[in-house]
Amino acid sequence: MSGLLFVSLMSSSFQIDQVTCRFGELRAVNNVSFEIRKGEQVALIGPSGSGKTTLIQLLNTMRVPDEGRLTVLQNEVSVLTPRELRRLRTTLATIPQHLGLVPNLTAIQNVILGQGGRRGALRSLRDLLFPSRADALEIHAILDRVGIEEKLYSRVNRLSGGQQQRVAIARAIFQHPEVLLADEPVSSVDPARARDTVKLLCELSAEHGFTLCVSLHDLALAREFFPRLIGMRRGHIVFDGAPEALSSEDQRALYELSNEEMMVDA
Amino acid sequence: MKAQAGKYGLKRWVVAGLALAFLCCAWSLGLTPAGLVPPDSQHWDRTGEFFRAALNPALDYEDENVPADAEPIWWKGIKGVFLTLKFAFGAMSLAVPTALVLGFLGSSAWWPEPCGGKTRLILRAVYFISRLFMSLIRSIHELIWALLFLSAMGVSPLAGMIALALPFSGTLGKVFSELIDEEARDAAQALKAIGHGPVQIFLVGILPRAMPNLITYSFYRFECALRSSAVLGFVGIETIGLYIELSHEEFYYREVWTYLYLLIAMIVVVDLWGAGIRRRLHTSTGGCAI
Ligand SMILES: Nc1ncnc2c1ncn2[C@@H]1O[C@H](COP(=O)(O)OP(=O)(O)O)[C@@H](O)[C@H]1O
Ligand SMILES: [Mg+2]
Repeated sequence: MSGLLFVSLMSSSFQIDQVTCRFGELRAVNNVSFEIRKGEQVALIGPSGSGKTTLIQLLNTMRVPDEGRLTVLQNEVSVLTPRELRRLRTTLATIPQHLGLVPNLTAIQNVILGQGGRRGALRSLRDLLFPSRADALEIHAILDRVGIEEKLYSRVNRLSGGQQQRVAIARAIFQHPEVLLADEPVSSVDPARARDTVKLLCELSAEHGFTLCVSLHDLALAREFFPRLIGMRRGHIVFDGAPEALSSEDQRALYELSNEEMMVDA
Repeated sequence: MKAQAGKYGLKRWVVAGLALAFLCCAWSLGLTPAGLVPPDSQHWDRTGEFFRAALNPALDYEDENVPADAEPIWWKGIKGVFLTLKFAFGAMSLAVPTALVLGFLGSSAWWPEPCGGKTRLILRAVYFISRLFMSLIRSIHELIWALLFLSAMGVSPLAGMIALALPFSGTLGKVFSELIDEEARDAAQALKAIGHGPVQIFLVGILPRAMPNLITYSFYRFECALRSSAVLGFVGIETIGLYIELSHEEFYYREVWTYLYLLIAMIVVVDLWGAGIRRRLHTSTGGCAI
């Protein structure tokens, strides 16, 4: 019993404690604290410019906090050597907003790079030219799961936006991550597909047991699929809790222009 | 309206300034239309002879001292064309890998992230030194490099190849580094975020992305290298330029034209081939500039 308790105490994916990240004078993420535990599914919501992308880049260790403490999978990020940082990143899958695929490689070549962080340069080069049978089978299964198995050998730049998104998701799954971070994965697809994509990400998180943290513009989608929402506004966290707890006041705090901002707009 | 008038006003001044600069240059160089007219009857004869020879290229040696059993001139010319091709290809084989390394060092898309303090300082130094080095080697023309190398190392094909490869790696490397930095940021960032190392990012994320443009541009430079290899014949490297130079020295203009036609034929063929490659890359990758 106490062993289980210990494990559950240890099992946090992110501990972020009074973290600030600045661009010059601007505090894109301002004195933010929260914890995300293993296996949790969290939606990061907030208007554009509220700091969602910056926060995701902090969580995937591409940025280091200017102030505060950030612990990712029990590693304090600021003390890691570049090598340790890279090792840590192999367990964190990120789907950036613009997907970051290599456009003139095929789907399978892009997906296989998901394991590249663990495999190193030479092995990755070989994977691109001569993918192993085992990898090809696994990737085929993953593409089947995300619904584009017939695109295994298609060049990514010949695929539609939605299909490219699936390739990026497949790359993240092939990485076998402990955490998947996705930055506005549905900002460039139509509403029906957006819903499918968010649903797929949540299902995959449940199937594989990885922590999921997705930034979303669309509050309705976030409320429908995520048990926990973190709302940001101008670098601050203004809401953290279950969607049922999100009052209309909270929503106003999140999305409505304040008086001073209206003045600036006018 | 007013702003537009201002813009056109500026343009007028620029055009007027350029025209003035041209007139100054022409005046200081003593340019007159008479410069195109041969100065005396001897030169008139030679001019006529040269252009008449164009209609009547040599099918046999003009030099009577060439032994009868020597290889025919067209065969020698074709061999010269292949020597030129070989030479240009050799130079490009040196230049492209060098340019890849220089282009890698002179780009920043692969830099680790976060990248602060000492690492950043070192990377910036590497970046600027390689950019400086590239601009130094390409600011000197291959003909000058060739003269320097040949006087230092004697006339050898390798010296000539290095002389040609140097400025070419400079130009190629500059274009490579810009292609790398402009095109591949997204993919490079994404791969960094999942633990790929710098060299790995370059090899699997950046290079494949930039490849169509790299190939297209390298091929274009290969066409330039061909023309340059022919020119290097004039400083003694054995390419078709050497044969042209030797015949020209003896006023065997008809031989000169034979070689020139062969050279032109080769360049046309290579240009067509290059256009084919460009078209194929263009259609198969959904567009690449250059
Ligand atoms: N690289 C950067 N340099 C300077 N300012 C930036 C940079 N990235 C983001 N910002 C600024 O930080 C704030 C938060 O941006 P971001 O994290 O992208 O918000 P979101 O993803 O919620 O739209 C914005 O005001 C933005 O202009
Ligand atoms: Mg964003």
